[in-house]
Amino acid sequence: MTKKWNLMLAVLLSLTVVLSACSGGNNKEANAPATTNDTKETVDTTTPETPVAEDQSSGLIKATDVSLNPELAKNRKDTLIVGMVDPKGVFSPLFMETAYDFYVNYAIFDSFLEVKADGTYVNSLAEKIDVSEDGLKYTYHLKPGVTYSDGSPMKASDYLFTMKLLLDKSYDGESDPLSYHIVGAKEYNEGTSSDISGIKVIDDNTVEVSLTEYSAMSPVELGGVYILPESYYGKGYKQGNLESVKALNNKPLGSGQYKITSYKAGQEIVLAANENYFRGAPIVKNVIFKTTTDSTNMAMIQSGETDMDNINVSEDNVEELKALGFLDINILPNNGYGYIQFNHNEKKFQDPKVRQALTFGLNRSDIVKGIYGPYADVINIPQSKVSWSFTDENIEKYDFNMEKAKTLLDEAGWVVGASGIREKDGEKFKINFSATADNPVVESLLPIMTTNYKELGIEIVSEVLDFNAIMDKKTKGDFDMFFAAWGLTPDPDNTVFITKGAQNDAGYSNAKVDELMAKGKKEMDIEKRKEIYKEMYQELNKDVPMILMYQRTNMTAVNARAQGFDLSPYKEFPFSLYQVQLEQ
Amino acid sequence: MKQYIIRRLLQMIPTLIGISIIIFAISAMVPGDYITARANPNMSIEKQEQLRAIYGLDKPDYQRYFIWAGNMLKGNFGDSMQHKQPVTTVINTYVWNSFIMGIFALFFSWFIAMITGIFSAKFQYSFFDKVVTLLVFICMSLPSFFIGLLLIKFLALDLKLFPVGGMSTSGLNATGWTYFTDVLKHSFLPIMVLTMLSTGSLTRYFRTSMLEVIRQDYIRTARAKGLKERTVIFKHAFRNAMIPAITLLGFELPGLFGGAMILEQIFAWPGIGHIYLNSISMRDYPFMLGFTIFLAMLTLVGNLLADVLYGIADPRIRLK
Repeated sequence: MTKKWNLMLAVLLSLTVVLSACSGGNNKEANAPATTNDTKETVDTTTPETPVAEDQSSGLIKATDVSLNPELAKNRKDTLIVGMVDPKGVFSPLFMETAYDFYVNYAIFDSFLEVKADGTYVNSLAEKIDVSEDGLKYTYHLKPGVTYSDGSPMKASDYLFTMKLLLDKSYDGESDPLSYHIVGAKEYNEGTSSDISGIKVIDDNTVEVSLTEYSAMSPVELGGVYILPESYYGKGYKQGNLESVKALNNKPLGSGQYKITSYKAGQEIVLAANENYFRGAPIVKNVIFKTTTDSTNMAMIQSGETDMDNINVSEDNVEELKALGFLDINILPNNGYGYIQFNHNEKKFQDPKVRQALTFGLNRSDIVKGIYGPYADVINIPQSKVSWSFTDENIEKYDFNMEKAKTLLDEAGWVVGASGIREKDGEKFKINFSATADNPVVESLLPIMTTNYKELGIEIVSEVLDFNAIMDKKTKGDFDMFFAAWGLTPDPDNTVFITKGAQNDAGYSNAKVDELMAKGKKEMDIEKRKEIYKEMYQELNKDVPMILMYQRTNMTAVNARAQGFDLSPYKEFPFSLYQVQLEQ
Repeated sequence: MKQYIIRRLLQMIPTLIGISIIIFAISAMVPGDYITARANPNMSIEKQEQLRAIYGLDKPDYQRYFIWAGNMLKGNFGDSMQHKQPVTTVINTYVWNSFIMGIFALFFSWFIAMITGIFSAKFQYSFFDKVVTLLVFICMSLPSFFIGLLLIKFLALDLKLFPVGGMSTSGLNATGWTYFTDVLKHSFLPIMVLTMLSTGSLTRYFRTSMLEVIRQDYIRTARAKGLKERTVIFKHAFRNAMIPAITLLGFELPGLFGGAMILEQIFAWPGIGHIYLNSISMRDYPFMLGFTIFLAMLTLVGNLLADVLYGIADPRIRLK
């Protein structure tokens, strides 16, 4: 073994390792990011009554024979085992990022408000919330007698303390409390003030928050903050340094349903019931979050090693789970959608007729059926069908229609040239499609799209790239079209379609949409908001800012011995853990 | 010998610097960073800028390299962005789980490969040799996820001999012997598959090296002396055939700690492999770079170890 060899090998090793980064799989978290954020999940809480979409729970397939339960599960009398992808071990509502860390934290911490199955909010820790006439002052009244799992009482000042942590200069989590417009937040963040002047602790149970400006989301942004005990987290905290708080990420203390008794990274999180829980001690005494993977989750629920898990929806999987007989299978619409993005900075995509033609001329239902079978719907507005803002009034369905697509392209001035490719002003209609590597949707989409568009007289050239590379191209505006999927917040307000919006990297601009979005954000009455967003979605439907593809579903299989879960696309399983019972 | 080791250790320094520059440069050239990989649809542009500033991602690449390399020299690998913990803590949390799997698989695969290698060489072209060769090639060429899932189906679900996955029974608060046997039960399947995968090439390697030695003159001499065939094969031939294997053993060192990405995923084994893979797709640079450097160091140490052992085992090679 010579020296040269050593060096070469070492270099080779590092090269292969890093190069594999270029082709590395795009993971699901990155692809469906919305499951991992909640701070903006909101509906106006001052108007609690909103109709529930009818088909919300139509996806429940009840167990047929509970006696088929495996011995392993039957013998576990006081313990519920939930299978899920391993969390990163960030058990702090301040720093959590992945959906799985969220799940753990939901069980350990509480906030003033809590999401309901229909996506609206109810008071949780708050007994009552007063909102001033102008919408700029929020007074939260904490329920009396709430204590943390160590027995110490929760105080309104803990809310102020938590906001201080979130607004700290060194805070590097994903919550963005500066955008809540709290009076004095900026001063605290910059360190020019040691207090947040806009948050006043009136007494042990009352706290008042003042804003400089409000939006429809303000009540939930403010009320959705998970409250941390100052007596525990505040010990080593000094303004500008969160290290001591971060150090407690694996030793959380909250007021929630459960408390952590042990954590084995990558294996399991063992939770014990919080006897001091303000709604009464949870019925199931022990809950374990056990790590499973795509390849083991089905087998583990079958063998009884887990009691519930999230399993990929496919006809095969549903049949297999049904055949087991002892599972309640919940199939719920996913809070998100898949879409094909146009680059609106490209001249050819600036004509709405072209965008309409490209939608008419793409056989979307075949593509979606090919990937998800019956477990996904082709969509025509960028909103979940279970949302209160969903509408199908005057919505064009863009059913596959080659003739119509051709006519539209002719009208737009793109005529078939000598080579069979459409041309306008001497430019050939060619689309560079940036395809995500290892993405089953793209694999099914690309062949159909290429054939369909070829018939339209459009040439598709595709390049396969890693997810991050495509996101990078998106930010730089260096693309024609790409496919991606992302998540929806329960509130229809977003920045995807607003001119120069934070998520609007594609350069879309429509004055009417801008105006309606701004109006919807400032309106507090949900009925009026519905009308505003209906109009906005109709406009988007006509203008086709992107080719909307599908809304898919998620499947949660629950062993029928565990009853009492209240599941919906908005209310994830940890919220109702305390009311679950194990039937023997 | 001492001098030789010191010299080799000193030579590692420029090598490591080179490696660090290359992996840093490549990671800097790869598009995207942790913020883009998160692709949080609710994050405003201001917030993104703020986070980049806190993580130091807004600085030019060369500056980032020197900051990173400087911290590494002080033993500070930085904080993993995904785990919000020091990189060394994350490595320490997961690497030993991978090590358990790696060391057992190494032991079994070498043991089996040695035995089968010797016998297929001794009885070259016999029925035994052909069967072994066939088996070895089957094991080598079957994809690990396929064998893994097949074994889960038969041994775990149908026969209920082993648990499906994970490293210990959930909620088992055992220590000592009970815990040990529990882990042993859980690790059986993954270790078996890992062993199956690596035994193949090793067997062929040992067989070849054994065949070469058996034809040497000194083996004929040994036989002519009237030594028992067993002594000839196991004492004279085997020892000499094993010398090239030392080099191979040196290379196994990083593999012990590197984890098995696919297998860990299949058996839900809490190893470092999938943490590493995840850090790459999520652009968790501190962890990705830190762990790569860690593996590079192990490779260099493994090399040195192999060379030193080689000198000890084979007197024909003199280390200067």
